[in-house]
Amino acid sequence: MMDRLNIVQKTVVAIILAGLAMIVIIPLLFFLTVSFSNATEMSQFPKNLFPSTTVTVYVEPEEDGAYELFYDYGDGNGYTSVITTSSADKLENHFNRQYGITIDGEELLADFEQTRTDGPMEFSYKKDMLYNFKQFFKIIPNAGAALKNSIIVSLLTILISLTFGSMAGYAMARFHFKGREQINVALLIVRMFPTVGISIPMAMLLIRMGLFDTMLGLALLYSVPNIALTSWITSSIFIGINKELEEASLVFGGNRFNTFMRITLPLAFPAMAASSMYSFQTAWNDTISALILTSENQTLALVVYKAIGTTSSGIQYAAAGSIVLIIPALVFTFIIRKYIGQMWGGVEL
Amino acid sequence: MSYLEIKNLQKRYTKNGPLIVDNMNLSIEKGEFIVFLGPSGCGKTTTIRMISGLEEVSGGDILIDGESIIDKKPRERGVSMIFQSYAIWTHMTVFDNIAYPLKLQKLPKAEIKKRVEAAAKATEIQGLLKRYPSQMSGGQRQRVAVARAIVVEPKLFLMDEPLSNLDAKLRVSMRTELKKIHTAQGSTSIFVTHDQSEAMSMADRIVIMYKGKIEQIGTPMEVYHDSATRFVAEFIGTPPTNFFDVVIEKEGDGLIASGDGVRYRVPQKLYNAMLPYVGKKVDMGVRPEFMEVSEDMEKREGYMADTVVNFVEPQGSHSILITNIGNTVAKIHTIEHMDMRPGTKIAVNVKNDNVMFFDCDTSFRIK
Repeated sequence: MMDRLNIVQKTVVAIILAGLAMIVIIPLLFFLTVSFSNATEMSQFPKNLFPSTTVTVYVEPEEDGAYELFYDYGDGNGYTSVITTSSADKLENHFNRQYGITIDGEELLADFEQTRTDGPMEFSYKKDMLYNFKQFFKIIPNAGAALKNSIIVSLLTILISLTFGSMAGYAMARFHFKGREQINVALLIVRMFPTVGISIPMAMLLIRMGLFDTMLGLALLYSVPNIALTSWITSSIFIGINKELEEASLVFGGNRFNTFMRITLPLAFPAMAASSMYSFQTAWNDTISALILTSENQTLALVVYKAIGTTSSGIQYAAAGSIVLIIPALVFTFIIRKYIGQMWGGVEL
Repeated sequence: MSYLEIKNLQKRYTKNGPLIVDNMNLSIEKGEFIVFLGPSGCGKTTTIRMISGLEEVSGGDILIDGESIIDKKPRERGVSMIFQSYAIWTHMTVFDNIAYPLKLQKLPKAEIKKRVEAAAKATEIQGLLKRYPSQMSGGQRQRVAVARAIVVEPKLFLMDEPLSNLDAKLRVSMRTELKKIHTAQGSTSIFVTHDQSEAMSMADRIVIMYKGKIEQIGTPMEVYHDSATRFVAEFIGTPPTNFFDVVIEKEGDGLIASGDGVRYRVPQKLYNAMLPYVGKKVDMGVRPEFMEVSEDMEKREGYMADTVVNFVEPQGSHSILITNIGNTVAKIHTIEHMDMRPGTKIAVNVKNDNVMFFDCDTSFRIK
């Protein structure tokens, strides 16, 4: 399309696209920066767009083996006095909490010794970039378990949705039975229910089944709308797969089962990948159902949600938690992107 | 006992629905190349799908080598099939496509490789074994389908309009190719098509079907020169046979076929057969190739009508003259009068008594 535009039109289009991209990218970038920021940087204004990798302090020697630390907050006042101490523990603590630097206090004192002979000077230390991430898992002790739970519930949801959804989709595509249209519409209606709306009855049901606060119970709830969606997506693909491909397999030695496994399923793989993406998304992103249906076994999204909601200071830890939540989703999407491209990329089946 | 025996075969898609295949009986000998020919919806594809087991049989029996196969699964019947869409699996390489039936038979790897390579050689696709079907042309995919079909060494080869997706030129060359492979493999084949020139050029015998029934079984020469029914006479031949509604009248010691613009003396050899039809309406059929044109309006032996040429369609090797005889449009195949001008008055004669009469009720040929 770009080829048909003249230079002015091209420029306008480019500017609009760049603007749109900025709207999307800048908040994400800022968020990423926050997750790498230490407490001191968090209190600064304006904030940097890119995270710093080192921290520089100005040190003046004081009496009794003490040192006075100065830090430049970037507010135009230059170096400001922060702390005066001779205690290794205090220094270590300060560097850790305020700057996100993991370093031994004795080592700092040894470094500062230099100022006794050479006079006041600056010292630069490397930031521990993963400090917030470590801190997130430290502050919220069940975050590790929650990450595991999220992965389990996502895989279970994908498994349940794909198994039942693709079977339903295949039946819908290949067999003409009584009530086929009705089931088709019913599947769509199931998807119309907001998950929150059915959470309370689901909770009661799961408690009775002994599946309350389990990942299987949660996966069952997430699968309800996704089985419907999966069967819709897959049945349209199954319809598109020429029946002769299956018939050829039947003539050339296949039975119904290995024909489905060796011929139909691989050909429908892009549809499976697309459906699994939706299932994953439901299970990975949900907080509200998890809030209602779990107590001990929380999912990562719920944990991050709670971290954001309850911490007034240390929002950088919550940001780190959010990044932890985003990365697996990104990885998953990139893995299956190729197959979804096949589905909507016009590749002949 | 014939190799393949079809007995009173019937097919209905719904209970009490119409018979798609209506009491079909057919015997095929080993090594024959049989073509099922007919317009779409005549039941030819349904029939070979019943032979392959992809379609259930509603009545009758099918026997291969004296053994009934109708209760067997498709994979147990020892048949192989080439589909209209080729049905090549796009997620497998050419090698895997051809090897699929052998892998399911759990043959040793070395043997699979040997047989796949032999099949690839026979179909001239040795160089393509590692490729995926999406990287291949229609003709090459067709060859893969053929290779897969011959690799299983089937008792019976079924081909369901395998050439209809190819372009015209390739179709003609693949015809020869398929016939060559059939002969080289010594297989027994059934080929379904609605293209009469395909049928004529490939078949040992043609089975012409119409509305679920067999109209005629015969060699290409037989169905052309000795059509059994009006449908066959109309379906075989390009352009199709010209038909005229005539009434048989007695005149002296001969019979006259007389109709709208037509007056034709029935040949002596048909006299006895036509005698019962005196005073009745029959269909008279004359192939365009057997119509002779005389510009001098001379009523020669076999004279049937006077007319005026409306259009001329030159075909290079011959021309088709389009005329109206009475209210019927008649096409005449000519090599003598290729550059005739439209508007020329001509007399039309039937060459060498090459005329066919058909009963109006049964549509059977009267002879």
